[in-house]
Amino acid sequence: MARPPELLEDVLDGIDALLVFSPSGAYYDRVKDVEGADVVVVATENAVGAETFVELPLAFDDVKERIRFGIEGALSEGAVEDGDELGCAAPLFGDGVDMVARTKVDESRHSGIYDLFANSRAEPGVIRDVFEVAIELGQKGQKGKPVGALFVVGDAGKVMNKSRPLSYNPFEKSHVHVGDPIVNVMLKEFSRLDGAFVISDSGKIVSAYRYLEPSAEGTDIPKGLGARHMAAGAITRDTTAVAIVLSESDGLVRAFKGGELVLELDPEEY
Amino acid sequence: MQVDLSPVLDPDFRYVLGVATLFAGLALGYLVGRVNERLLLALGVDDAVEGTSIERMAHDVGSSTVSLVARLTSWIIYVFAVLVALEVAQLTVQDAVWYPVVGFLPSVVIAVVVLFFGVIAGDKAELFVSERLRSVKVPEMSVVPKVVKYSVLFVAALVALSQVGVAIEALLVLLLAYVAALVVFTAVATHQLLTSAAAGVYLLLRQPYGIGDRVAIGEHEGIVQEVNVFVTRVEDNGREYLLPNHLVFERGVVLVRE
Repeated sequence: MARPPELLEDVLDGIDALLVFSPSGAYYDRVKDVEGADVVVVATENAVGAETFVELPLAFDDVKERIRFGIEGALSEGAVEDGDELGCAAPLFGDGVDMVARTKVDESRHSGIYDLFANSRAEPGVIRDVFEVAIELGQKGQKGKPVGALFVVGDAGKVMNKSRPLSYNPFEKSHVHVGDPIVNVMLKEFSRLDGAFVISDSGKIVSAYRYLEPSAEGTDIPKGLGARHMAAGAITRDTTAVAIVLSESDGLVRAFKGGELVLELDPEEY
Repeated sequence: MQVDLSPVLDPDFRYVLGVATLFAGLALGYLVGRVNERLLLALGVDDAVEGTSIERMAHDVGSSTVSLVARLTSWIIYVFAVLVALEVAQLTVQDAVWYPVVGFLPSVVIAVVVLFFGVIAGDKAELFVSERLRSVKVPEMSVVPKVVKYSVLFVAALVALSQVGVAIEALLVLLLAYVAALVVFTAVATHQLLTSAAAGVYLLLRQPYGIGDRVAIGEHEGIVQEVNVFVTRVEDNGREYLLPNHLVFERGVVLVRE
């Protein structure tokens, strides 16, 4: 007769590193001196003071997404290598760690979403705030109807020079930053009108109603996406900005960097 | 303390009265202590002093700050009750040794309270500053919270000492010299930051140029990427210049329009 923990032995047998997701302080104390594997903490903030830490910019609800992001982060930080066997301990149903999984690092499946947050020109917190606004907008829509929106984050000076105003800029001479308390409502209202929001590296909302005029030559985005996505892809190819798009037709949030689609999220899952 | 006891002449009655006063005082002291403890707990003082050195010290002797303060108030009342009882029973000699001591007692109590709050405030200030500096991972920074803590303690000790009438002129001179040095050094060291901030406030309020404009500040020309209180970020050909805002006023700014 085997006790239940023994049945799980082969899940964690021979792993090179253990990814622990959002551990409590007490749990981390137990786990940090584990033998035979490096411990990598993945969480929204390093509350436990871990040595190897990967920051989660969003509290991914989907565990699969969260683990994928954690692996990409650990890979970019050099904590794990291609081909490493990984054990993952993460909270699934409750707040404490209640599941383990095993996976392998595969560099070819690298999508660049960690890169999107960690190595973009804009501050990670700003990109996260914009994602949150886009996700909230996707969940609720504007007065119950789905809306589309395009946020261009970072490299604002160049973006402003590669775009023109469609109307008066409501954010002219204002000092509104994404993440400010009332800003979601504002962005929601202004998203009714067409055009892009331009947001600076530090999160200041520079303009709304911008018509982007990048050269779209050579921009390759998946077929079936509309003009908004094409504009988003093209502006990120022409500048060092990141574009976050909420699609009006399928309600997905997509992120573009360097002219390529790097992340696709369903707002309903958050 | 001088109670007029002329109507009560019978010594036996005075003793009874004295004992009654003593017991009433003891009961009052106990009650005030308990009420004080409840009051302090209700005000959340126990949470506020969490982690300070006084709380740790109290914990070591098997008590807590709140109960220590409550105990202290009780004991002050006990002492007063005993003295009043002795007075009532007329067991005291004229010009007894404790008259000056008793007269001195309020100052001592205030001094102790000031010291007590000084220590707590010092600890709290230390915690606050070190929390603020946590993201600055420079080991030398750990000295700053300590300096803040001991500055607060020093001022508290000065106030306490002046309460009990100790000559503190020399210490006062030391404090003044310290504060003056702090002010002068801060003014000299942050002079450029201050002028930049003043210019930055103007730039943010009036916005003579904004993000996306092409400007030349001094010898640097480029597209404005960001304006904040201290610096303007100007980018040109992949080079991003961080120009302190006081340059805008010293050198002027050229808005380039093609």
